[in-house]
Amino acid sequence: MSLSPQDLKQLFRRLLLIRRFEEEAFRLAVAGKFANYHGGMGQEAIPVGACYGLKPTDNTMITHRGLGVLLTRGVPVGEIFAGLYAKESCPTRGRHPIFHMAAPELGILAGTTMVGSVIPLATGAALAARIQGKSDVTISFFGDGSVNRGDFHEGINLGAVRKLPIVYFCENNFYAKSMPLEASTAGGNIVSRAQGYGLPSEVVDGNDVVAVYEATQRAVARARAGDGPTFIECLTYRWTPHSTAGDREFSRTDEELAGWKAKCPVMRLRKQLIAAGHASAQELDAVDLDIQREVAEGVEFAEAAPYAAPGVALENVYL
Amino acid sequence: MHEISYQQAIIEAMVEEMRRDEAVVLMGEDVGTFGGLTGTTVGIIEEFGDTRVLEMPISECGFVGASVGAALKGVRPIVELGLADVSLVAMDQLVNSAAKMNYFHDGVASASAVYRLWSGFRPSGGAQMSQSNEAMFAHVPGLKVVMPSTPRDVKGLLKAAIRDDNPVIFFEPKGCYALLGEVPEDDEVIPLGQAQVKCSGADVSVIATGVMVGKALTVAKKLAAEGIEVEVVDPRTLRPLDTETLVASACKTGRVVLAQEASQFCGYCAEIAALLADQAFDSLKAPIKRVGGAETPVPLSPRMEPLVVPGEAAIEAAIHSVLG
Amino acid sequence: MARMSYAEALNEAHRIAMRDDPRVFTLGEDIGEYGGIYRVTKGLQAEFGEQRVLDTPISEIAITGAAVGAALVGSRPILEIGFVDFVGTCWDQVFNQAAKFRYMTDGRASVPLVIRMACGAGLGYGVHHSQSLEAWFTHVPGLKVVMPATPADAKGMLLAAIDDKDPVVFLEHKFLYEVKDEVPDGHYTVALGKARVAREGADVTIVSWSGAVPWALKAAEQAAAEGIECEVLDLRSLVPLDEDAIVASVEKTGRLIICHEACTTGGFGAEIVARVVARAFDFLDAEPRRVGAPDIPVPSSLALEAVYLGTRERLLEEVRAIVS
Repeated sequence: MSLSPQDLKQLFRRLLLIRRFEEEAFRLAVAGKFANYHGGMGQEAIPVGACYGLKPTDNTMITHRGLGVLLTRGVPVGEIFAGLYAKESCPTRGRHPIFHMAAPELGILAGTTMVGSVIPLATGAALAARIQGKSDVTISFFGDGSVNRGDFHEGINLGAVRKLPIVYFCENNFYAKSMPLEASTAGGNIVSRAQGYGLPSEVVDGNDVVAVYEATQRAVARARAGDGPTFIECLTYRWTPHSTAGDREFSRTDEELAGWKAKCPVMRLRKQLIAAGHASAQELDAVDLDIQREVAEGVEFAEAAPYAAPGVALENVYL
Repeated sequence: MHEISYQQAIIEAMVEEMRRDEAVVLMGEDVGTFGGLTGTTVGIIEEFGDTRVLEMPISECGFVGASVGAALKGVRPIVELGLADVSLVAMDQLVNSAAKMNYFHDGVASASAVYRLWSGFRPSGGAQMSQSNEAMFAHVPGLKVVMPSTPRDVKGLLKAAIRDDNPVIFFEPKGCYALLGEVPEDDEVIPLGQAQVKCSGADVSVIATGVMVGKALTVAKKLAAEGIEVEVVDPRTLRPLDTETLVASACKTGRVVLAQEASQFCGYCAEIAALLADQAFDSLKAPIKRVGGAETPVPLSPRMEPLVVPGEAAIEAAIHSVLG
Repeated sequence: MARMSYAEALNEAHRIAMRDDPRVFTLGEDIGEYGGIYRVTKGLQAEFGEQRVLDTPISEIAITGAAVGAALVGSRPILEIGFVDFVGTCWDQVFNQAAKFRYMTDGRASVPLVIRMACGAGLGYGVHHSQSLEAWFTHVPGLKVVMPATPADAKGMLLAAIDDKDPVVFLEHKFLYEVKDEVPDGHYTVALGKARVAREGADVTIVSWSGAVPWALKAAEQAAAEGIECEVLDLRSLVPLDEDAIVASVEKTGRLIICHEACTTGGFGAEIVARVVARAFDFLDAEPRRVGAPDIPVPSSLALEAVYLGTRERLLEEVRAIVS
């Protein structure tokens, strides 16, 4: 469970990949290349820390801000960009936003656009593992905006009462679209709700990739051992608006954003790696160049990819 | 063949499918030793145990969502929702999750689950426990919708629904539950999407669903004595609909009466009327008449039943009207 | 008269109602300082304060239930649910609670509530943000269903809906929000249940509503160039339905096309065909046609979404076909 210098460098690479991806996706969306991007810049440590160390047979279900999970679990950059462009060369072939793609071979399960509705779905994937006698674990990612929906309570209660192998993973970035947490969510915090269901739970610094990794590994081990769900609340902040569709966010201030940028998860690990002597600045810069090339190639792939033929719209309504 | 009730036929179908395929599980409120609100899960937990008969808390969003998630991982859940009215609490999971999974994922992941809904009037049920809401589901691409009217049909269609790879909304009208009928003892699977001509006739077609099928047959028998030949057709599956059989019957008789228990406005019979007006227009000799429930919620008092649930007299009047 | 967009007309209706009647308040997600996804509630919180323009958590069950509860005790809530697709999450509150209180209490309680929802495709929003679900609401006794197509109607019908003593589902097509037109000043109402003849013609009746009205007008214009005169009816509200206006037009033209954006199967067009076939059968010179979306979820890629919206292009062909 402890991370070697090699592991830390792997984590760094993944963090940076998501960052460069997010920057490019945001830029392209603002330039009007595709509609309405829900950026996750600033939150990279969560997908990387949570998914590093999962088996491909473990399941993840994500939110509209979860592209980092797809990247960390191995979906090619080009396919994700193709999905943003709604081209054919992506797993949904343009039928549905890429963040809810399925790749069962990578443990990526179908999602839904409906905020919070994913929590019961993920609980069902964990239920299937129980029924089938498998040791697979499911991670259900959701945002702070989900926790006031009935699906949150019903899903978590069901997982808890049946002690299912699942990790309920709240990415708390303090804003549900324009709504600040304190205006939407009673009780002062989220994690106490999980305690009400008798679940082991912890609040984690969501911008510290190592802390996220360690907390997730404890939760996954508990689930795999048959000891039931864990609730993790990661505190973080998105650097970009809810989406690129002209969202104005009055409650978020420049000072608040600057404070969180100072806690950048990518820079944080970079500094640690250099300070500990695990890597030189030049080595990490080379990784960056490599990643920038990968991202640029992904964009090229997506730009060149065809749109699906109209007939694709009519297929696969039924199996 | 043996004679059993509609309710017993449901139990037989589920037990036989659970024996045949261990991926099939049963989920719902009180489906264990209690035997289900509908009395159709009696004895199942005793045979299959609590890993395959999963008793759920009163959390319909929770466990309908969980059934979809489990189906994505290869489990084939039969979900007993109890009253059809209750499905509305889980509407988002049924319509936005279950129905669309296959489409999102280009055939890679599908929600192969059956949702059993106990629908329609029952004495003293009232406005929130007596609804027939099949038309809402039949408007949703990605769902299949079934409504059997006889013990034999319910057994064969439930087996087909369980084996289907898509989400199936399975309506079991309460008024059918006590019906007795001959059911084959062998493994009869009735494919989804096949209507059945329940009785043949040349003068008028009555296309009826659920409890209205039995009422139409009674009327047909009565009118036969008066020399009027009524053909009764039961679509059995509403989505996919066996348009061919319905159009053939309409073309043969040229006169059509449609009958459903649900309130008429925007009910499923409107869809059938529109299809026939389009595809059998030149054969129609009279306006298509619809017989349906009143435009009200369902009242509590059993004495009000005749006011809101259409009966044999309404079917008979409609037949006379189209015969001119 | 002032020239303004559909969204601005709705905004003005809110202001007038809230100034005139202290019982009127509005609630929804991101409707306060943010002004709503479509800017319909822009500036309302600044004028009327946080007590009357409530930003709510993402809790559709709670906010819908609370709106129903407030209406029961005499308030006049206007609830914004950003996308009609989300109504599945609170469907029970709409269908089982709001729609039924008057009936269940024999009129001792009523729910004067307006639920505003955006519907429709064309912006690439995908499966869960683009649906047209009016046929669900129209099948529910107790709900009124309003779908205005012009800024003037949007304002006048919203004011009429606020005055109404029963729950009104107010559906706004996303594509219409930016459409500008002349809107009368001050308080006025446009009665629910009165269709509008958007264009007169003697050859074919095209019945449409909401976002499909501009399609119908465009096809009518193109058809006129070919010598076919279409009469375009804008229903404006589906419940109550102005059946007389439809029948009168069909009696004049003998040909009926229904054009709507929603999926064809189980769509509201079926109800209209069924009614016209029952009432104006002898006047029909051709089979009534429904022109709606194919039975698929709404894909998000614009190229694929165009398949879902193929109705736009198909309409003119259907007009040509029905007169040939």
